[in-house]
Amino acid sequence: MRTTTRLLTATAGVAALALSACGVSNTTGGSGDGEEYPSGNVEMYVGASAGGSSDLISRAVSKGLSDELGASFPVINQEGANGALAANKVAKAKADGQTIAIQNASLFAITPLAVSEDEVTDLDDFDVVQGVSRDDYVMVTGPKSGFKTLDDIKAANKKITYGTTGVGTGAQLSCGLTYASADVEAEAVPFDGGAPALTAVLGNQVDTACIQVGEAIENIESGKLTPLSVFGPERVEYLPEVPTAKEQGLDVEVAQYRFMTVPKGTPDNVKDTIAEAMQATFKTEEYQAFNKQNSLTPMEISGDEVVAQLEEDKTRFADLVEQYGLDLGQG
Amino acid sequence: MDVNAFLDGFSLVTEPQNLLYCLIGVLIGMLIGVLPGLGPAATIAILLPITYSIDPVSAIIMLAGIYYGAQYGGTITSVLLRLPGEASSVVTVFDGFALAKQGKAGTALGIAAIGSFVGATVSILGLTLVAPLIAGWALNFGDPEYAALALLGVLLVATIGNGNKLKAMIAAALGLLLATVGRDSFSGAERFTFGSLQLTEGIDFVVVAMGLFGVGEILYNLEERHGKPHVPAAIANIWPSRKDLKQSSGAIGRGSLIGFVLGVLPGGGAVMSSLAAYATEKRISKHPERFGRGAIEGVAAPETANNAAATSSFIPLLTLGIPANASMAMLFGALLILGISPGPQLVEERPDLFWGVINSMYIGNLILLILSIPLVGIFVRILRVRPAILAPITALITILGVYTINNSTFDIFVMIVFGLIGYLMKKVGFEPGPMVLAFVLGSIVEDGFRRSMLIFDGDPTGFFTRPISGTILAAFVLVALWPAAKAILARRKTATVTPAPAERDDVDTPTR
Repeated sequence: MRTTTRLLTATAGVAALALSACGVSNTTGGSGDGEEYPSGNVEMYVGASAGGSSDLISRAVSKGLSDELGASFPVINQEGANGALAANKVAKAKADGQTIAIQNASLFAITPLAVSEDEVTDLDDFDVVQGVSRDDYVMVTGPKSGFKTLDDIKAANKKITYGTTGVGTGAQLSCGLTYASADVEAEAVPFDGGAPALTAVLGNQVDTACIQVGEAIENIESGKLTPLSVFGPERVEYLPEVPTAKEQGLDVEVAQYRFMTVPKGTPDNVKDTIAEAMQATFKTEEYQAFNKQNSLTPMEISGDEVVAQLEEDKTRFADLVEQYGLDLGQG
Repeated sequence: MDVNAFLDGFSLVTEPQNLLYCLIGVLIGMLIGVLPGLGPAATIAILLPITYSIDPVSAIIMLAGIYYGAQYGGTITSVLLRLPGEASSVVTVFDGFALAKQGKAGTALGIAAIGSFVGATVSILGLTLVAPLIAGWALNFGDPEYAALALLGVLLVATIGNGNKLKAMIAAALGLLLATVGRDSFSGAERFTFGSLQLTEGIDFVVVAMGLFGVGEILYNLEERHGKPHVPAAIANIWPSRKDLKQSSGAIGRGSLIGFVLGVLPGGGAVMSSLAAYATEKRISKHPERFGRGAIEGVAAPETANNAAATSSFIPLLTLGIPANASMAMLFGALLILGISPGPQLVEERPDLFWGVINSMYIGNLILLILSIPLVGIFVRILRVRPAILAPITALITILGVYTINNSTFDIFVMIVFGLIGYLMKKVGFEPGPMVLAFVLGSIVEDGFRRSMLIFDGDPTGFFTRPISGTILAAFVLVALWPAAKAILARRKTATVTPAPAERDDVDTPTR
C-alpha cells in the first residue's frame, strides 16, 4: 500500500505545482545567502520528455542528490526547442541553487548553427557546476545495404541517405561531416528523435543513420545493424570493435555530453555543495551500473573544463560547417 | 514459440506478489486514465524510483499495467464529460457523449469495457503467437506508408462527421493548418510561432482537444441552461442489454483486428486504428445516419481498436527495441534502469521477463474488466450532478490536466482560446471532431511526405511502386470515388428500371 500512498503524494505534488503556477510562484526559493542549502525542494528542469536519455540521466542524478543532501530534487520535464525552454527557466530563476538543470552540449555548440540568432541560448546565463557524462553517436547501416565499412560506402559511388535524430543535433552534424569530408554525395533525412531513425535504418528506409549508442547497441549486438564508425575522441567502451572517424582518416569528432548548470551568480558554497554531492553520486555502484546500462561514458570533469570544451567545440563546429558548406538548418 | 517458457511465464505471474503489483498497476492506470493530461508516461516517470527496490519482472508488470489500465480509464471522461484524454479517444466522443445524453452512459461505458477487454485479449494472443514474425513485417512500414495511411485518414475524417460535409471539411482544413505551427523539423524554420519559444514545439494535442471539446462544451452549456431548471439526466440502464451486445459484436471483432494490425507499426497507430474502425463500421452499416447520434457500434469499434493497438504496440518494443509512443519510451527507460535491454535478444536472454509481462496482461485485462463493472455504476452518477457544480469541476480538471502535460501555464491560456473557438464552432454548427483529428493527422502526412521525398530523392512515383503505400493509395482512390461511383450506378439503374427516387443524402464528394 506504500505505493499508493506515494502516488497520492506525487499527485498532490503535481497539484501543488499547478497551484503555485497560478500565482504563488517562488515559494521554493529559500531566503538566500548564508542559509543551509538546499532549503526545501530543488527543481530540476530537463528539456526533454520523460523516457529519453536526457530525462533518465536527470532522474539518476536527482536520486543521488536526494540521497546525499536529504532534500527532494523533483525532475520537471519542459520539452521544447531542443531544450531552450528548460534552459530559460533556469536562466531566469533566482540565483540560489533552488532551480537547476542538467543541460546538453548540443544546445550550446550545435543548435546555434541551425536556428536563427534570437533563439540561441547563451552560455553566459549560467554557471556550469559539474560535468556528467558523454553520450556517443554511432553510424549504423542495415545488413541489406551490403556496407561493412565506410570505405564500402565511398566505393559505392551513389547518393547515400542518412537518418538523423533531428535538425541541429549532434547526430546530424556527425553524419553530415563524415559524408562531406569523405566526399560522398549524401542526403540527410531528419527524424523526430532516435527511435524513428532506428526504425528507418532497420527497415532499410534509409541507407545509414547516426543515433546514440544506447539506442542502437541491442540491434548491433544481435547483428541486425552494422556499425560503421563512432565519433568520439577515442573508441567507445561498449563498442570496442568500432573505429572512430579519426582513425578512419576523417576529421570528425562529435559527441553529446551533459553537465549541471545553475543560474549565473549562484553563491560558490551552493555550487560546491552540488558538485560534491554529484561526485559522491558518481561513486555509487547504482549510478555506475546506470551508466553501463545506458552506454554512457563518464565525463565527470569540473565546470570550468566543461565551459572550455564547449567554447572549443562551438568554434570548431562552426569552422567545419563553413569549410564543408554544410547546411544544418536555416542558418 | 517456446511453450515451456510461456508456461513458466504464467506460473511467474500467478505468484501472489506479481498479482498484487499487476492489480496496483492497472488500478493506478485506470485512475490516471480518468484524469486528462497526466498520462501514463508521466505516471511511470513518477513511480520509477519505487521500482528500483523491487524485482524487475514485478516492476515491469506494474508499469505495463499502468499503461494499458489508462486506456480503460480514458473512455470514461470521453463519454461522460466530452473530454477525450488522448487522440485515440476522440472518435469515441461522437457517439459516446450522444448516448450519455440519452441516459445510456452505462450502456456506452459497459460496451467500451467489454470491447476493450476483447480487443486487448485478441492482441495479447497475437503477441503470444506471432510477435517476432509480424515485427519484421512492420519494419517495411516506412514514411511513404505513413504518409499514405494518414492521407487516407484525413479523407475518412471528412466523411465520418454527421453534419454538413462542407463544414466538416472546413474544420478539417483548419486542423491541418494548426498542425503546421512550430519549428519545422526539416529546416529548423519557425512557422506561425510569432517569436514565441513556447510555440516552437507546436501545439499539444491534449491542449487542442480539451479546449475545443471540454471547455467549448462547458461554455455552451452555461449559456444553454442559463435560467432553466436542472433536470438530471435519466440513467436508464447501467449494463448493456443483450441487444446492445449483439449489435456491437461485429464492431468489436473488426475493431480487434484493425487495432492489432495498426498497433504493431513501430511509429504507433492507435489514432489511426480508432478512426479506421469507426469509419469501417459507419461504411458497412445499413443505417449510417445513426452514427454520431448515439450508435453503440460507434463506441464499441474505436474503443476496441485503440485497446488492441495499445497492446500490440508492445511488439515493436519487446522484439525490436523500438518504443512506439511516449509511454513505451518510458517503459524502455525503466527496463534499462532495471538492467534489461529491450531488443531482438530479449526473448532469448530474459524469457521470464518477456513471457511474464505478456502473460500478466491476460490477467491485468481480466482485472480491469471486473473492476469496470462496479465503477461504471459509480461514474455514471456524475451525470446527476448539477451543471453549476459539474462545470467548474470539469474546468478545473481540464486546467490541471493541460498544465501537467508540459508544466506550462502558457498551455492553459492556449486551451482557453481553443475553448472559445470550440464554443463559437458549436454555435454556428461546426463539429470539433474533424478539426482535432485532422490536426493530429496533419503532421503525420506532412512529415511522412517530406521525408519520403528525401528518401526517394525527389521522385514521387516511389509512393506508387512500393507495395504497401501503393495499396493504401489505391484504397484512398476507391474510398474517394466510391460515393460518386455509387451515384452513377444508381442513376443508370433508375434510368432503365424504375422512376428516379429521391437523391440519397449520403452522397459525398471526393475531398481532393
